[in-house]
Amino acid sequence: MTLQLLINGISLGSVYALVAVGFALIFNILKFSNFSHGGLMSVTAYIGYVASIFLVRYIHALPLFVATLLAAALGGGLLALVVERVAFRRLRESGSSVIYYFISSITMGILMENSITIFASSNFYSYPPFFPAWTIRLFGALTIAVPDLLTLCFSASALVILLVVLFRTKIGLAIRCTSFDTGTAKLMGMDPNRVVAAAFFASGVMGGVAGVFLGINYTLYPQLGQLIVKGFVASVIGGLGSISGALIGAVLLGVVEIILIDLVGAGWSPVFIFVIMLIFLLLRPRGISGLIVQEKA
Amino acid sequence: MEYLLSTLTFTGIALIGVLGTYMVTGLTGLFSFGQAAFLAIGAYVSAVLFKNLGLPLPLAALAAVLVGLAAGLLVGLPTVRLRRDYISLVTFGFGEAIIAVLNNTTNITGGAMGLSGVPQHTSFPLVFISVVVCLAVVVSYKNSKYGRQCLALRNDELAAKSMGINVERLKLITFLIASVMTSFAGVLYVFYTTYVEPGAFGWVVSAEWMIIVFVGGVNSLTGAVVSTVLLTGLPEFLRFASEWRIAIYCVIVLLILNFRPSGMFGQHEISLSFLRRLVRKGAKAP
Amino acid sequence: MSLLEVRNISKAFGGVRAVDDVSLELGGHDIVGIIGPNGAGKTTVFNLLTGIYPLDAGRVILDGKELTGLPQHEIARAGIGRTFQNIRLFKGLNVLENVMTAADPYSAYNLLDICCFTPRKRRREREVRELSRGYLKTVGLEGYEKEKPESLPYGLQRKLELARALATNPRVLLLDEPAAGLNPSEVRAFIELVRTIHGRFDLSIIIIEHRLEVVMELSSTIFVLNFGKLLASGTPAEIVCHKAVTEAYLGEEEAAC
Repeated sequence: MTLQLLINGISLGSVYALVAVGFALIFNILKFSNFSHGGLMSVTAYIGYVASIFLVRYIHALPLFVATLLAAALGGGLLALVVERVAFRRLRESGSSVIYYFISSITMGILMENSITIFASSNFYSYPPFFPAWTIRLFGALTIAVPDLLTLCFSASALVILLVVLFRTKIGLAIRCTSFDTGTAKLMGMDPNRVVAAAFFASGVMGGVAGVFLGINYTLYPQLGQLIVKGFVASVIGGLGSISGALIGAVLLGVVEIILIDLVGAGWSPVFIFVIMLIFLLLRPRGISGLIVQEKA
Repeated sequence: MEYLLSTLTFTGIALIGVLGTYMVTGLTGLFSFGQAAFLAIGAYVSAVLFKNLGLPLPLAALAAVLVGLAAGLLVGLPTVRLRRDYISLVTFGFGEAIIAVLNNTTNITGGAMGLSGVPQHTSFPLVFISVVVCLAVVVSYKNSKYGRQCLALRNDELAAKSMGINVERLKLITFLIASVMTSFAGVLYVFYTTYVEPGAFGWVVSAEWMIIVFVGGVNSLTGAVVSTVLLTGLPEFLRFASEWRIAIYCVIVLLILNFRPSGMFGQHEISLSFLRRLVRKGAKAP
Repeated sequence: MSLLEVRNISKAFGGVRAVDDVSLELGGHDIVGIIGPNGAGKTTVFNLLTGIYPLDAGRVILDGKELTGLPQHEIARAGIGRTFQNIRLFKGLNVLENVMTAADPYSAYNLLDICCFTPRKRRREREVRELSRGYLKTVGLEGYEKEKPESLPYGLQRKLELARALATNPRVLLLDEPAAGLNPSEVRAFIELVRTIHGRFDLSIIIIEHRLEVVMELSSTIFVLNFGKLLASGTPAEIVCHKAVTEAYLGEEEAAC
């Protein structure tokens, strides 16, 4: 039984991982928690929905699913670029303190969520069924639903692609350098605007993919993106500033949450998650693999 | 007229919440996404004690505020040691946890359906007096060693500690005062609206209060007051645009952040000398 | 008995030994200097003394009281004040308030006074205000009270940091490269200022400086650090002639020894 929970947890965790990594990308570069990511995920989920409704006349099942994913990913990337331009570029250029990024990101997130409510109403929508409710039997006793399996596979692929880009391409190198030291990176000829835009685009793509999976798992409603906070929690557990940590933290969170829901029911799990998180932060403030940046005097 | 009074009452209650946020976020630099949870605590504890247990109103109110204080201690003690981002996370988690508790204790609180049938005891004069008292306390706090040290630690925590400032203790004290004030606002709230449900106390409310403080100018108490009146009172008059209210909020904030990041009032406060100068300028002009 | 005893302190960051078994001593009303190349660990020593970094090893004792392991603010209140290499003034407050925040922890009134608007609060506030004004006067910043620290020229900002550190009522004052960025006449004025402060208040001073004229003129003892280790210590005259010191840091000029 527990193994089943584990598998479900990992699957959920993989979605959280997408969220957490998209989040960690921005934290690494701009050193703040991008709370607009949630709003972005909500919007991209709806973009995916619109795309799927449009395309369902022509294609079905897996191709439809992939097309929806691509639409949402692309939409997410572009939207993230817009967000960066509108909400953060000015702040970056005038060297504002973190507080303002904070407020700006929260506001942008609320705005995006609200625009869904305005244009699409608060009703629940759901994606057209991409697959019949297939399940796969593993090792006899375990079942995993096909959607969950696909979630895991696609999330993992997206993450792998991201890691490849980050560690094997020029722009990825630029992103990593800029996240260490923007000033020096500039001196080395890296255009911070381009780098930040690239990071946001990547983050938006992650968010888009995550949005679709969230939409499948939870149906579509404007506050969908508030699951961003789970991503934030995962990032924190994994250690702010560490992408690998965010990954581990997310999977852990998914597993813990599934187990908790099984034990105490979905209603009480926020309480337990809060307590667990509190205890965790008290015992190990730097997270699993994160760095505590020691201030120099 | 009655509509005006009702709007003013709501604005007054919101203002007390904003004052709490001003202390925690504006003075001390903590981004607490759980302030609205204290509103919930104040509202529910007092309403339940009054309705279900028949406690007299003043006692129920006092109990609610004490529970708010206890909750503030529970969250505050571990939180004040954490980094800025973590504080937001923990206070957010706290807010969500409170809502979850309220949603799941249906027998006592009515759960997601909410609690209704609370008699209306809050009057405009009561709210007005409460606002004046809270404002006086916050002004006194700001212009004291507490306020200065809070601003110092907000600015540069390391340097503040090196000057002998007990940063954690100050954060906690400020947080607790804000919890007490906001819980009291919750009491006023429930005995005015006569109905509450857990969903009304989510993190978005806390975020809205922070936004109000920023629009007014994070360093300016006057700004916070003016901003509350504008951003809370005005939409009530713009009922027709209620769907767009939040979107308009957000656009205003983004505009301010981009073009006047110090907020409406920046650093300025209304003070006697300022008013005197205004009068003198007016007298000089031909 | 010495006022400040620093015994065998060490601190490593990852594999780098920033401070390696350093000991120094300070008597009451002394001025000593710490010199050494960049990266020698001088500021790290200050950070260890003030509790910003926890000690890997060693002890710090101020006037018989153990400071090892105490939180920063308690160390500050025990009597160690400091200025910073990269100026860290409080930007949200004006000049006078910057100094007041350092004197505030000693101001005796509480929340009850705040809520009840007692005359005690007014009185204490006035006292702190007067006290802070006094410190501003000492460093020569009278008349700048309502200015914003970031609008002050660099030299005055350094003076403000000094005034603020004085307001913490220190027994030992740590000055971290206080003359950096000052022109020669400002350096002269600064040396005089340190002498004035030393004369007027009952405290000892430790100065980290690269401007050797400051350290040579003011210090009775100089400690030389290199690669985290204490290379040498002695009077200015001894240090100038010390072979290892000239090799590592001072350079060999005239054979004055």
